[in-house]
Amino acid sequence: MRVLVLGTSSSAGKTTVCAMLCRYFARKGLDPVPFKASNLSLNSYATKDGGEIGMGQAFQAWSAGLEPETDMNPVLLKPSGNGVLQAVVDGKPFRDYRRGEAMDREELLGQALKAYGRLSAKHGMVVCEGSGSPAEINIMDRDIANTGLMGAADVPAILVGDIERGGVFAAIYGTWRIIPDHLRPRLKGFVINRFRGDAALLDDAISRIESMTGMKCLGVLPYVYLRFPEEDSCSKSQGKLEGENVREAFLRNIDELTDIAVSSGFDFDAVERIARERSSSRRDPHGADLRILRDDGVHRHRLPSDQEDVGVRQDPAGGCSLGYGLSRGYLEHGLFDGHGCHA
Amino acid sequence: MDCIKKKVNEEIERGWIGSNLECEYHPCHFTGQDCTFCYCPFYPCGDEDLGSNTPGKRGKPVWNCSDCLFIHRREVASFVMSEIRRLGIEDASDERLKGILPEAKSRFWREGKAVMVVGATSDAGKSITVAAICRALHRRGYLVAPFKSQNMSLNSKVTRTGAEIAMIQTLQAQAAGLTTPDAHMNPILLKPKGDDISQVVVCGKPFADYRVKEYYEEFVPGPGIQIVKEHVDFMKKRYDYVVMEGAGSPAEINIYDKDIANMKAAEIADATVILVVNVEWGGSYAYALGTVELIPEKDRKRIKGIILNNVRGDPRKMLDGADRLEELTGVPLLGVMPHVDVMLPSEDSEALRGTSRRGEGSIRIGVVKFPRIANFTDIDPLFMDDVSIVYVQEPGDLDGVSAVILPGTKNTVLDYRWMCEKGIADRLKEMRGKVPILGICGGYQMMGVAMDDSLGIEGGEKEVVEGLGFFGNRSVFAEYKKTVANREAVLLKGEGGKVTGYELHMGQTEVVEEPLFRVDSMFYPSWNEGSVREEEKLFGTYLHGCFDLQAFRRYFLSFVDAPVEAKEAPAKSYEDLLEDSLDALADAFESNIDMDRLIGIMGGSE
Repeated sequence: MRVLVLGTSSSAGKTTVCAMLCRYFARKGLDPVPFKASNLSLNSYATKDGGEIGMGQAFQAWSAGLEPETDMNPVLLKPSGNGVLQAVVDGKPFRDYRRGEAMDREELLGQALKAYGRLSAKHGMVVCEGSGSPAEINIMDRDIANTGLMGAADVPAILVGDIERGGVFAAIYGTWRIIPDHLRPRLKGFVINRFRGDAALLDDAISRIESMTGMKCLGVLPYVYLRFPEEDSCSKSQGKLEGENVREAFLRNIDELTDIAVSSGFDFDAVERIARERSSSRRDPHGADLRILRDDGVHRHRLPSDQEDVGVRQDPAGGCSLGYGLSRGYLEHGLFDGHGCHA
Repeated sequence: MDCIKKKVNEEIERGWIGSNLECEYHPCHFTGQDCTFCYCPFYPCGDEDLGSNTPGKRGKPVWNCSDCLFIHRREVASFVMSEIRRLGIEDASDERLKGILPEAKSRFWREGKAVMVVGATSDAGKSITVAAICRALHRRGYLVAPFKSQNMSLNSKVTRTGAEIAMIQTLQAQAAGLTTPDAHMNPILLKPKGDDISQVVVCGKPFADYRVKEYYEEFVPGPGIQIVKEHVDFMKKRYDYVVMEGAGSPAEINIYDKDIANMKAAEIADATVILVVNVEWGGSYAYALGTVELIPEKDRKRIKGIILNNVRGDPRKMLDGADRLEELTGVPLLGVMPHVDVMLPSEDSEALRGTSRRGEGSIRIGVVKFPRIANFTDIDPLFMDDVSIVYVQEPGDLDGVSAVILPGTKNTVLDYRWMCEKGIADRLKEMRGKVPILGICGGYQMMGVAMDDSLGIEGGEKEVVEGLGFFGNRSVFAEYKKTVANREAVLLKGEGGKVTGYELHMGQTEVVEEPLFRVDSMFYPSWNEGSVREEEKLFGTYLHGCFDLQAFRRYFLSFVDAPVEAKEAPAKSYEDLLEDSLDALADAFESNIDMDRLIGIMGGSE
């Protein structure tokens, strides 16, 4: 079993969602293992055998009840200032890349795939994490951790979108749309992260995205202020864990989050089904194709399986969803923050 | 009327003068205005495009054209004066004078064009893009104004006529070279009062309180749309370009029909739309494409350009994906904007994002981050000095600070209670006399001995709340009344000097302390404002914006225990700094964005 967790942007919540999946499936006894083919991060962790991996994978390993090892993050790219990027491969410094210098993409991807293979052989489920957004058109041919892994190892993927900054439906739809045609059917589901308020208010929008893309909404994760490790170089500093026993503190947090996800109806079973899918078929019954016919704001598209038009109405009368009291992304819409009143 | 005629006669005799740089009020409307006709020779013209009748004091309608800029356009003033000369008109009562206006109007008056900047997310950079476009068009000699139909903001300012509008629209107006921002630029301002209730301010005045649900179900489809239409029309009649700003993402499909801040406003204004995407977080192509695609066809047609914003690396790298993005969206990429490191106040995002520190300076000032903090852009000018800010949310955040500022709040009583529960109030009492402590507005009210809310207007419960007791003042919330006013003042302590600011508050304070400022007014005798106890380093004032000019900034920092060099404030005023920043922003914008194309898609030509 294997699944790749992609984000619509940096800091969308990939690391946390992966840790949560590791925790849940470890509890269930499915023997998950975290994996990030390539990680751009300054925060690294030293494994017991003296290798260096991204901090996020160490946390995810703990969530899975495992000891961190270098295979979990075979390629670590560390910005070391002055435009220099140090590549750490299999836990050991590999070489430095200067600004503008091309990376040995094939070699790095090859190393990553070997590590992935070793983990797959040893464990029941590989929970892979993507890097940044998978839809960066300008660098997609150089990608390792997102479309690179999807294509090379045939891994089904789910998308995490951050609703807090707004535009999450556009981000999920746009990412799905930009993923190359041959990989798009491998996108199976999406997660809306950092939501405040009543999730029922998003129902209509979610069903629209589901029928436009063929992806299933796996859950809406509430905004929870938990302290998680800082992963990407550009994420905000509030995620730092402090105190003596970081591992215990983190596990308490991830347990809490996993429980919240379970009680909010997060569809872990669907993730398991996605992870079990054997391999991609050319005709994916769930993947909608791109022929979208437009007609006065009504988006229609054709599902290849049944050749039936599915009309998706905008906010059906009476059932219009208002995102009340939600998240900051909506604040500008005058949909109020749950924090209380401001000037 | 005779008085105006007399003035016009003087103007006719004087002839064309262009901009009157000698005048103490110059520029009273906009930079580059023509002052030949300070008094309009056509008053009252009765032309509904230029003014309207308003009820006068004695019930008789009075022609009001105070927002008309037509006669101050250089080409108009010059044409009118040459016609007056050509016709040999020597007196304002000459009937032929009236005939010049239709001719001038047909030559020079056009309804303006509207362009709207929407963002793929919050913090996409809409506000500064609007500011940059305003400045770029202003530089090209156009009359241009910003507009945001609905703004929910923690930071507001007071206009010349005493209306309250969002701070960011006043900054954009400055970018447009306008000296008197007005409420037409932000006709709807939402001021949250509680978890799901907001005061809706219309045209700068409180309109009514609405719960969120009522706002969207009653206000928006009812008065909301009408208000937007009325003000958009008003703006288009007075400016060559109206640069509108959207709110949040325009593609929130769950609220699309209820959203009057984005595509609906664009439709009402018949505006061209430009989509700005923040590249910093990644996924920008996807955000751009998704936003364009999720907007229904009829509105999507308005989107004529995309700007990829806030690129910290090499902007050219983003161009590698441009062709594909244009192909996928069918919308041209107007350019890639690098991150511009300018000092401009931002909308509310920063305070909401959980920022705990700001700035790099050596003087560390603690700013108490009240849950209902308001007008926190007051502290921005301090960054001109060697200052960094720590947002205080726990008593421990006050460790090592050299000064403390208690900023404004939307609710003094509730936020004071919060400060006590957190233990911050006790900590401040220990720090009294050791470091300078300044309270502004709500923070000033908290520094007194009591906040008398016996009517329950502020906190909901009827009680008298004991304050920090730093001053002997009592603040009373005796009636539901808000003071909204701009002030010019003089610092009474230290080396003195000019101070400007504005008041926006509930409640009144009975002051028993030595005053900090003297407020001067054109209409009333001067009065004292604020409180000061120099020996205890305690300062308090109602004046938001008190740091904008150098005098008070330098005075306050003189009490900070820091090396003299660190406290030597630059001679610049904050206003000048903003001006320089707006220029730097516009320079970057013009060198990275295809301006000809931008003006072209806005319906103009270069």
